[in-house]
Amino acid sequence: MNSLILACLAFPLLGMLSILLFGSSEQRISTISLWSSRAKGASVLGLLAVWAVAGFPAHEFAWFDLYTQGEYRFPILFYLDRISAVYLFCAWVIFSIIVRYCRVYLHRETGYQRFFLTIFGFAFGLNLVILSGSIDMLFAGWEIVGVSSFLLIAFYRHRPQPIRNALRAYSIYRFCDVGLLLGAWMSHLLFHDSQHFSQLANLFQHTAMPPAGYASLLILSWLIVIAASGKSAQFPFCFWLPRAMEGPTPSSAIFYGALSIHLGVFLLLRTMPIWTYHYLPRTMVLVIGLLTVVIANLSEKTQSNIKGQIAYASITQVGFMFMELSLGLETLVLLHFLGNAFLRCYQLLVSPSIVAHLLRVEGSVDTDFVIKPSAMREFLPNSIRDTLPAVLQNTLYVFALQEGNLERLVRSTLWDPLKQIGARMNRVRPAIRYFSSFGLIGLIILGKNETLFDRGYLSIPISVAMVVASLSAFSQKHSPFKVWNAIATSCGLAGIAVWMMEPAVYADVLLFLSGVLPSWLLGIGVLRRMLAQENFAEEPFRYRAMAETRPKASLLLFLSFLGLVGFPITPAFLGEDLLLADATRLHPWFALPITLAFVVNGIAAARVFVRLCMGRPSEVCSQAHESA
Amino acid sequence: MEPVSHICHSAEPNNSHSDRRDRGFDLNRAIDNVSHWLPTQGPLKDFIHHNTLHAVQHLPFHEGVALAAKIFGARSYLPLSDYQNCYREGRISDHAIDWALQRCGLSDSRRQALRDSLFSADKQSHYPPISLANHGIRTRWLNELEVDLNALAHPVLFRLLANFLDQGISRWSLPKANESFWDCVLRLTQNSLLPLYPFQEKSVRDLLNLGPDQVILHCLQRMVGLETWYEQYILEMLLGHPGWSGMVRLIELNPQTLLARRDISLQQLIAFELACELALLQKKRGANFGKIAALKQLDSVPRFNGGAMQTQVPLRLKVWHEAMEWYLHSELLQALKHQPVPGRSPTAKPAVQAQAMFCIDDRECSLRRHLEEINPAIQTFGAAGFFGIDFLYQGLDDVYPVAQCPAAITPKHLIVEAEERQTEKNPKTGKLSGLHFTAHSMLRGWLFTQTLGLGYAARLAWNVFRPGAGLLNIEQLSEVKAHSHLHLLRETDEPTPEGYLLGFSFPEMADRVGGLLRNIGLTKDFAPLVVIVAHGSSSVNNPHFAAYDCGACAGKPGAPNARAFAWMANQQAVRDILRDRGIDIPAATYFVPALHNTSRDEITYFDPNSYLHRDHKVLHAFKHDMHHALLRNARERCRWFELGPQSHSNKAAHQHVVARASSIFEPRPEYNHSNNLYCLVGRRELSRQLFLDRRSFLHSYDPASDANGEIMAKILSAIIPVCGGINLEYLFSRIDNSVYGAGTKLPHNVIGLLGVANGVEGDLRTGLPSQMIEVHEPARLLMVVEQATGIVDKALAGIGGLQEWLDGEWIRLVSCDPTSHELQLYAKHGWENIELPDALQTPAAPHSEKIILGKTATIPVHQLQGRHA
Repeated sequence: MNSLILACLAFPLLGMLSILLFGSSEQRISTISLWSSRAKGASVLGLLAVWAVAGFPAHEFAWFDLYTQGEYRFPILFYLDRISAVYLFCAWVIFSIIVRYCRVYLHRETGYQRFFLTIFGFAFGLNLVILSGSIDMLFAGWEIVGVSSFLLIAFYRHRPQPIRNALRAYSIYRFCDVGLLLGAWMSHLLFHDSQHFSQLANLFQHTAMPPAGYASLLILSWLIVIAASGKSAQFPFCFWLPRAMEGPTPSSAIFYGALSIHLGVFLLLRTMPIWTYHYLPRTMVLVIGLLTVVIANLSEKTQSNIKGQIAYASITQVGFMFMELSLGLETLVLLHFLGNAFLRCYQLLVSPSIVAHLLRVEGSVDTDFVIKPSAMREFLPNSIRDTLPAVLQNTLYVFALQEGNLERLVRSTLWDPLKQIGARMNRVRPAIRYFSSFGLIGLIILGKNETLFDRGYLSIPISVAMVVASLSAFSQKHSPFKVWNAIATSCGLAGIAVWMMEPAVYADVLLFLSGVLPSWLLGIGVLRRMLAQENFAEEPFRYRAMAETRPKASLLLFLSFLGLVGFPITPAFLGEDLLLADATRLHPWFALPITLAFVVNGIAAARVFVRLCMGRPSEVCSQAHESA
Repeated sequence: MEPVSHICHSAEPNNSHSDRRDRGFDLNRAIDNVSHWLPTQGPLKDFIHHNTLHAVQHLPFHEGVALAAKIFGARSYLPLSDYQNCYREGRISDHAIDWALQRCGLSDSRRQALRDSLFSADKQSHYPPISLANHGIRTRWLNELEVDLNALAHPVLFRLLANFLDQGISRWSLPKANESFWDCVLRLTQNSLLPLYPFQEKSVRDLLNLGPDQVILHCLQRMVGLETWYEQYILEMLLGHPGWSGMVRLIELNPQTLLARRDISLQQLIAFELACELALLQKKRGANFGKIAALKQLDSVPRFNGGAMQTQVPLRLKVWHEAMEWYLHSELLQALKHQPVPGRSPTAKPAVQAQAMFCIDDRECSLRRHLEEINPAIQTFGAAGFFGIDFLYQGLDDVYPVAQCPAAITPKHLIVEAEERQTEKNPKTGKLSGLHFTAHSMLRGWLFTQTLGLGYAARLAWNVFRPGAGLLNIEQLSEVKAHSHLHLLRETDEPTPEGYLLGFSFPEMADRVGGLLRNIGLTKDFAPLVVIVAHGSSSVNNPHFAAYDCGACAGKPGAPNARAFAWMANQQAVRDILRDRGIDIPAATYFVPALHNTSRDEITYFDPNSYLHRDHKVLHAFKHDMHHALLRNARERCRWFELGPQSHSNKAAHQHVVARASSIFEPRPEYNHSNNLYCLVGRRELSRQLFLDRRSFLHSYDPASDANGEIMAKILSAIIPVCGGINLEYLFSRIDNSVYGAGTKLPHNVIGLLGVANGVEGDLRTGLPSQMIEVHEPARLLMVVEQATGIVDKALAGIGGLQEWLDGEWIRLVSCDPTSHELQLYAKHGWENIELPDALQTPAAPHSEKIILGKTATIPVHQLQGRHA
């Protein structure tokens, strides 16, 4: 069984690598993808069969420890139970159908290779999430799914709109990753080694003695729910899903119709013992589900485009799943998930048929407004009987049309304040900046001899500086170098702050920096080469389309970006986890600034990447311009 | 250094406002001027091919294209290297280059220099010039104020417009009965507890009370400040979303194009968008943001001046393009020279067994060839696919009647289809198979997804792995059931409430039938069987389905027209009238309507009851021949499909095209009019022995029966806009697919049943998607008419405004003398003799299947040796 689990993961990865290495022609790519999806299918079916023969056990498989230091262990851990089996099956069915579908559908499309690369990356990340045995492993898969989703939304990188929407989805993902990252850290803190999914249920079996305090459990549940509702586009993050329908239709179908959107539900299913322990988080999930159902259902009524309508219908059903989850109806949720995934996938794939269907088969042209004011009119005073229902109707319509104003709500509460602080920081005179950084260095030197004050306190100004650096990267629009430097500074400061707190963990800090520093240097080098002939500040808002004009440089920049944001391909991913674990043993408050910096860095770096690499190569006949 | 020719024109079609600056800003006139530049593509349900650059059609082709490039920021030609590759592959000859150089109007020495520069590498010369759409004054908001106004205002605007114009996707419709867009805006902003974003501020909200025209003036004054820039600002703003602007203008001018009518005007759209922009600017940058007029370097911005702009035609590309076109054209011209002149051949003609009338459509070109190859005793004709019968048609399954004639004609007659036996109609909604078309979000949806969702896994797998099995239950209009009849004979002269006449009277029928028969020159020698073959195309999962159907029927399958024509021609009363007018249809002759499905290569014969008592032997033989012709046709089409079977089996090819047309994952059910290039108007003998590679529109015409050019004038005025429109739409969509075309189909999202857009908040895409035009060779149409120049001149005098197509060389016209086959090229100043080099030889082959063997690109015109006229 264990080797089959590995095979389920290896084949998509293998497929991706061989497409990257050998995918020189469409014919070859399609052969590779067909065979690796078949091999994957065989291993999934084999795994499920073996698992069924064994009597549907909850099977855990610890492959090896990736990293051990003291009591900290990062094991490569897999887990298969009923939930993962259902998800694995569904993912296999839909993935193999989509691969087959795209063979013809994407024929002759530019970016054929890119598409299959990302979709195999997605399959790998998805299987990793499904088969993960602990929150740490799940987080790795989660990140992979996020980045491949970002790449597929921006698949048509010539147009600014897909790029903007990709960035929008990515920033929501990123924000919600805070939940998961902090969640992983808290589960380490609370359950130590027993944060494996296999042991979670046992932990909570003794109702008399909870494994952790109510308050911390509440916070943990809250974090998990944030992560889940971001990925599943639940309240208040509903708005990103319809806008993510920018890639080729099958990619929208597999991501936002079928699989990716149900990952939040999966996370909640996995962590059910944690958040169902108390009625408060249960109610929270119920309320989120309810609010989502109401808002998404209203929004769906006023969607005049077919994909948006399907997106909101899907969100509504996921809202129902949240409600069912909060009521503990696990089996129903699994059934519901399967039904919704297949239905939405099918609906999206045949969405272009809507014209033929409505015009030729049903001939349904006009619809009627469903609010019937007559019933309540009777109860209203005469003076407002005619005006009030109209006002209410209009209000309801505007509310539905603007999708509950959720986007502006999220923007004004989450991003705008950060942006403003960052912008203010960027306006600070350089002299003051140098002065304060010298002050900081001075403090560090002073703190060395540990006579004046406890070194640990030093980490407070350092972490403040770290957040400030991140924010300044976030609102810096005019120089990609400054953004990259600020991100690196922020990461470096994070390392220093941890080191200040606990000098003994310098090895972890080094591990972390060994991921960040090379990425940063690589990034700076690539940026320098890219922008050698450009005057960036002149047109800071132009998309420069380097992915087409300089594909190698932009691939390097992409790698550098992944490294800087702690994607699970560099040691930085592990280091991030370690830093959190180390620092917060003594100073739990530190979790907040470091994750904030982590999120903001990611968005800032993505923005630079997008500005430079995406877009349409500027095609202007300069000749004509000169002679004009 | 790219040689360019500078042209400065006052490009107004009607030069009446040279005094524009003296009189200040006139809003209505400005809107009229601006709207001239918007695309005119209607809602998805009917697709009418037209010249994408109709705005500059009054200019010569190259100048018009250059001016359009300057406005829209589009490419004008293919990349230089494409032409050079063509030359290397032998698809452009030196002779054609010389011909094109001769016509570029340069002195000898400069011409030689130009010729030398043709072969240098240059990756950039085909790039679009600095343009209004991309480099106008509105870029200031982004570059100087750092506000991306388009990104902020477009979603609000598109969403509101889409919901207002929606034809049935959203569950709640926005407009109330007879409500105008402006009233609707007022209602949502001023009479709602939650005002429409971005009208939260009272000052902007109150501004709307001024009415659209005053709002426009006020906003322009606040944002632009200089009256001379107003018109340009409006144009640039509208070109930010040409699809929606064009749609609004089209609906304003032709409200009947929408099934559910909407009251909207371009003025209201402009006013709303300007108010949005003002509100957003104030929100982001305070009330005192800088105006456009305060811009430094205002002079460096391109100026619109009502279309009077200086343009450059890149001479190198122009010469290459003309050379490519001329080489392709001369392939046909060379072949035509050597075609036998009918009537002179000493051998007696074999008796004609059957006659078949097809649409002029280039897709029928190969089917006719195969049919004649299989049975030389079949004679084929070509006519515009509505067969001269213009009416509104309401099929059994149609809720609304649709026009079945070219866009230029407004039909007055309504024809309703009826079931022969009265059967109970199935209720159309709530069928299990169509459940997925409604989104189902709430409780009912909760139930459905729980229970039925799983079934869709099976259905999806079935559709993807076994395409063509026909499980997808969307009935296509082109697969009409053959057992129904049309109410064609008018029983009362009382018009319907909508003002249409229900059916035709016998004299009206005779007018139409006789008119068509005269047009195509079929007035005597009728065969015992005449098959009227209309065409349509079935495809699934394709919002552009209307663009695949018959262009002469305004994007519908032509079946109703064929059925109507055959029914009328079979009526004794009609034949009696026709006999009096000199067309004697023998009693033994009968007409059979049929529909050729161009994507599946299948044929359906209609109304079997109406010829039950006739002799069926001929029909059986015809059906048999047709069946084999369709198989061969399918194989000829398959050579374009890279993923199709490249075998020699006609059966396998046919199975492939059927599966292709019914696969939900196939974005190319067929390649439609790709590579259309020629249009022949003349007797079939002129083209019967030619292999034209499905590239020619073929219209039958008897030069002998038309001494005054009246018939020619009728034919030309019908086919110039249809064939020319198809040709130019393909040409421009191919040359710049992202500006003139609709881009790739894959991410398209259907908006309000009106059009498609990228993503949820995109602009409507106009033009053709890349999957339709990717193999097209973008060359202008060559129209060859078999008639003496003198008579053609008379005919041209009778086609009115359409002459600008010919004068500006948007179409090339060649006259082929009916007796000598001498060729002359039409030019604005007179006919030019055509001299073709001796080196140009038409390749020959015994039959079609030999020619297509192993070929994947376009094939030159071939002489078919195995055939006799």
